[in-house]
Amino acid sequence: MKLFNEPSPLETKIISFRFGLENSASIDTYLAHDGYKALRKALEISPDDIINELKASNLRGRGGAGFPTGMKWSFVPRASEKPKYIVVNADESEPGTCKDRLLIQHDPHQLIEGCLIGALAVGAKKGWIYIRGEYNYLIHIMDKAIAEAYKNGYLGKNICGTDFEFDLYTHTGAGAYECGEESALLESLEGKRGVPRIRPPFPAISGAFQSPTLLNNVETFSSVPAILRMGGQAYADLGVPRSGGTRLVCMSGHVNKPGVYEVPLGFPLMKFVNEIGGGVWKGRALKAIIPGGSSSPLLKAEECDIPMDYDSIAKAGSMLGSGGLMVMDETTDMVKVALRIMRFYQHESCGWCIPCREGTTWLKKMLQRVSDGHGQTRDIDLIGDLAQNMMGRTFCPLGDAAAMPTIAIVKKYRNEFEEYVARNPFASPELVSIA
Amino acid sequence: MANSISEILGSAAAIAKGMSVTLKEMMSPTVTEDYPDAPAKFQERYRGVHVLQRDEAGLEKCVACFLCAAACPSNCIYIEADENTEKKRISGGERYASVYNIDYSRCIFCGFCVEACPTDAITHGHQFEIASYNTSTLIYRKEQMLVNIAPNVKAPALPVETTGGH
Amino acid sequence: MALVNVTINGVQVQAENGALLIEVAKQNGIEIPAFCYYEGMSLQAACRMCLVEVEKAPKLMAGCTLPVAEGMVVRTESEPVVKARKTTLEFLLSNHPLDCPVCDKGGECELQDMTFKYGVGESRFTEIKQHVPEKQWSPVVFYDAPRCILCYRCVRVCNEGMGVGALGVSYRGVNAEIIPSNGDHLECDECGSCIDICPVGSLTSGIYRYKTRPWEMEHVGTVCTHCSNGCKTTLGVRNNEIVRGNNRDKSGINGEFLCVKGRYAFDFTQHPERLQTPLIRNAAGELEEASWSRALKLVAEKFKALAGPDFGVIGSTRTTNEENYLLQKFARTALGTASIDHHRTGDVVTLIDSLSGKTGQLATAEDLYTSKAVLVVASDLSQQQPLLANKIRANVRHHKAAVYTVTPGPVREDKIARKAIRIAEADSLAGVEQLREALSKEAELVIIYGDAIQGEKVRQLVAFGESLGIPVKYVALVDYANSRGALDMGLLPDLGPGYHATAPGRSLQQMLDDPKLAALWVVGSNPLKGGKSLASTNAFVVVQDLFLTETAQRADVVLPAASAYEKNGTVTNVCGQVQRLKKGIETVGSKADLAIIGLLARGMGVNLGKVDADAIFAEIAASVPGYNQLPMPVILTGGAVQTHPVNGGVPPSSVPGIIASARDTLFTTGSLTRYSKILNEVLEKPGALYS
Repeated sequence: MKLFNEPSPLETKIISFRFGLENSASIDTYLAHDGYKALRKALEISPDDIINELKASNLRGRGGAGFPTGMKWSFVPRASEKPKYIVVNADESEPGTCKDRLLIQHDPHQLIEGCLIGALAVGAKKGWIYIRGEYNYLIHIMDKAIAEAYKNGYLGKNICGTDFEFDLYTHTGAGAYECGEESALLESLEGKRGVPRIRPPFPAISGAFQSPTLLNNVETFSSVPAILRMGGQAYADLGVPRSGGTRLVCMSGHVNKPGVYEVPLGFPLMKFVNEIGGGVWKGRALKAIIPGGSSSPLLKAEECDIPMDYDSIAKAGSMLGSGGLMVMDETTDMVKVALRIMRFYQHESCGWCIPCREGTTWLKKMLQRVSDGHGQTRDIDLIGDLAQNMMGRTFCPLGDAAAMPTIAIVKKYRNEFEEYVARNPFASPELVSIA
Repeated sequence: MANSISEILGSAAAIAKGMSVTLKEMMSPTVTEDYPDAPAKFQERYRGVHVLQRDEAGLEKCVACFLCAAACPSNCIYIEADENTEKKRISGGERYASVYNIDYSRCIFCGFCVEACPTDAITHGHQFEIASYNTSTLIYRKEQMLVNIAPNVKAPALPVETTGGH
Repeated sequence: MALVNVTINGVQVQAENGALLIEVAKQNGIEIPAFCYYEGMSLQAACRMCLVEVEKAPKLMAGCTLPVAEGMVVRTESEPVVKARKTTLEFLLSNHPLDCPVCDKGGECELQDMTFKYGVGESRFTEIKQHVPEKQWSPVVFYDAPRCILCYRCVRVCNEGMGVGALGVSYRGVNAEIIPSNGDHLECDECGSCIDICPVGSLTSGIYRYKTRPWEMEHVGTVCTHCSNGCKTTLGVRNNEIVRGNNRDKSGINGEFLCVKGRYAFDFTQHPERLQTPLIRNAAGELEEASWSRALKLVAEKFKALAGPDFGVIGSTRTTNEENYLLQKFARTALGTASIDHHRTGDVVTLIDSLSGKTGQLATAEDLYTSKAVLVVASDLSQQQPLLANKIRANVRHHKAAVYTVTPGPVREDKIARKAIRIAEADSLAGVEQLREALSKEAELVIIYGDAIQGEKVRQLVAFGESLGIPVKYVALVDYANSRGALDMGLLPDLGPGYHATAPGRSLQQMLDDPKLAALWVVGSNPLKGGKSLASTNAFVVVQDLFLTETAQRADVVLPAASAYEKNGTVTNVCGQVQRLKKGIETVGSKADLAIIGLLARGMGVNLGKVDADAIFAEIAASVPGYNQLPMPVILTGGAVQTHPVNGGVPPSSVPGIIASARDTLFTTGSLTRYSKILNEVLEKPGALYS
């Protein structure tokens, strides 16, 4: 299968090395390229060893929150009498992110192998891959891969001749960003309305059907076979301390060579944009970068000289998130950016809690008005204030995801908002403050 | 002699002074009123018999919220509410007062009802001639207090849903 | 349970480990405001009003889902908390129409109260609010989406409280709204709990809508007159008209629960066919209007002339204990007859005889909420005994109680039952026997049985219960508001007040079948319902009722009676709990049955002493076993007290077929509800038991 972007020599291909191979999604290609070797290794060692290997790898969740995976796996109570489940979060909906799609499209067996290792580690016998409704074509690829795995004895009973058994199913959502949140995903998987659950209990203790559930992102599961093959420490050494290994970064926006590239964590951000991405397009100057999907606060050009790892980007006031890197050139209109992002979150808010339901709506209305040229000076403060009022007060992280970029844009590009207001002939300078 | 001359002059001066006041007042406009021969005049904010107002479309402003009755210290307002329908539309809100009585044998014209009204439906008019030998005639019905529909307003016809955009 | 130390606003308090912070604060007199949190229902954490500051937590925490732990330091009035509340209210009001003057909830609206206490005075938004037209879901439920704050209380009370699950949420984000089961309309119990529990005026009641405002009503706490469960209902009365029934103060045995009858079916009191003047059959054989004095004089003369053993008296299952007591006393003494009966709907008599010599084995409504196990035999509780069903559901929800059902068809309790047995009513005891092993492992049990279990079967069921070796309590189900009181007061041909044997007389059926019957006095009952006729064609028939029933049409004199909402007195519910009726309204022309009996006695020259509810109740307390030690302050303040009838040791005669439930559903109770306009409107299709 053809890749949509040329690979770069600067990449470190650990989980994407099969991308672009002839028939890369087939089990034959997979078996010819180290396929299911990690599973055989995992079958020989104890569940604790698997988890220790993961802990040593410093692998952190690739879905966005960046929680240490080894620790998450160790939370699942293996001794529980209830059945244990594996759930793969393939509800990839964060704007700017398209890595899970490639992982399923080009290498579905790597994901299956990751699930099998997860099942061994926590003692699960059943798993689901929850794929977002818009990824309809991926479901067919995944189903085909699962059928191949059953046929070759990698799923079902007596896997690899042992008494290990595991069943894997695909499950589709109806297309809701909210279902990417793990507890909402589980609700949706159970056939209910996709709204988040009260936590604790966390899915590791009470997840799908009130049973212990190991829930991770596609990329996280896909990284597991490589870790077992090369050893946790070797994987960790690819990255920087506390951020082990490599990850897929989806570069989009105003660059010459957009695409999905695998780089070790800690890779310099500007080097990534300029050398792998070929620099900002049309010879223009860089204005800002959104480093981790639309929910991460953007970084101004002068803040971008940092390595790409969880801690460094957090220090710069943003997040690595889901690896959706968006580049904006100097002509970008930041008011429109804020409006576009807010329109997305307003559309995707599930309506469960008040600050998110009303906050996204009114922010969108106000940003729309400012962008239409009817803004008032007080609106700028009000937009910032409302976003601040949503922050940390919503039921699930969607509210934060909508608030964070808005706060950052209003703070960093206030002058652009002021320019918009200045164009409004009816703008009045008075300020209204709450309380 | 000289005494009596100065007395006469003094008296004449006093009369002239007195008459000058009279003459001056005769020239200036009168402040007393000719009521009941002529109609009484009022300050703008005089609190007389209540007037129930209508909106621009001729619909009654009163939505029967009972706040005037709740505010009334002498408990003289009695309301019965009913629901507007598409066929029968009386007020701008969903509800209207099917009965609205004020008992003027109890009303103290304090104006609390006017202050309480959220829709400016009840106001004080300037009518005050309500004395009666029969207290039962002092209970005024809605029809007696409601302003007439202004001649330039056509029959009220508004869509039912008017609550948007508050 | 281990206690932990928690500091709230600088005050150290002790609380049970794991208790919810919002509850701990409440117990210590600190309010943490919330919309979606509702005691007894599942947690939601959606409204974000209850955010509080907890030391060491990175952000504000929702107090409604936060279990307290040792050393927790909480601040509920700090600056960030106050600001968070203000902003939450700002968000809530941003799309909430400010039509409080027309909104039915205005004056008792939680959003209004919260805004007054915690909110800001001004709105900072200038954009247009989103408007959605109001929808009517059923004759009694209206939904105004813009007012809705999506607290999901209605969804939860319908699903968890009622076990119906007729409400859900549709669409998302700002478009999210509550939707009814059938897309555009509701098909449910029509209980109105959703309307009651709505903190704002989003759900409004078809019957109360736009009628008045909360502060304009007089609130009269009385007891519902429909089924035998005896729910306390607070009637909203304005201008001698009942405009609303609910129980928001959660007083009484039912808390805030009411079914469709209790909440809406008070409108029979204003039915146009209501009798407001006595009727006397004239020479032409037609009933014609007459004055009270003429009618009473005629009846008194006739009664005096016809008094004796051939005089029949049929009492009511709705009149008060005082009226029932006075009726049987008057009949047995002044009229000299033993033929007294009423429409019996459940075999309480045999149960009390079977439990003779034992105490504490009659269950109360509260026992159904606390007992670890409940067995339902031959009854569709959700249809016939809605409060008892509600208590059982709450018990399962809160205490994980074990429920067992033995019924001839599917019942709602099956869904929560550990084991549901389908068996014909006649074979119910065989079904019960199948549960022996499971039941004997329970710590305690309440057995509820319907009218299929009577006579010998009651004794067998009690024997079964006693053989389990665990504490067992019983409820014998009856149909009507004071069915149990009629039995307790001795409206029976062979038992006097307190189940003590008296000289035997005719039963109800025997009275109807006896061609020698000289006179029949029917008080608040309709024995000729369904085309039955009186064998004695010459009998002088006097009927006291609210409407011209089938029996009243046969009467020689009809006296218009007052309903339960129009008089004082006491009634006894299915579990033997005595509660007080309080007069809410008055219907011109009608008289309470107690007053009518008193006037007839006076006309006949019989001295019954002081005929007034309090005086008669004092007489009951003095002379009827079981009613003699009731704590009066509890009853007088609107509480419920269980009676403890003691059987006289004389086995009652048990004639098969004499006891029969009317088998009414949630939407019918015959004589009263057919005159309730609203109840007939909400009835989409005739409901049936076990369907």
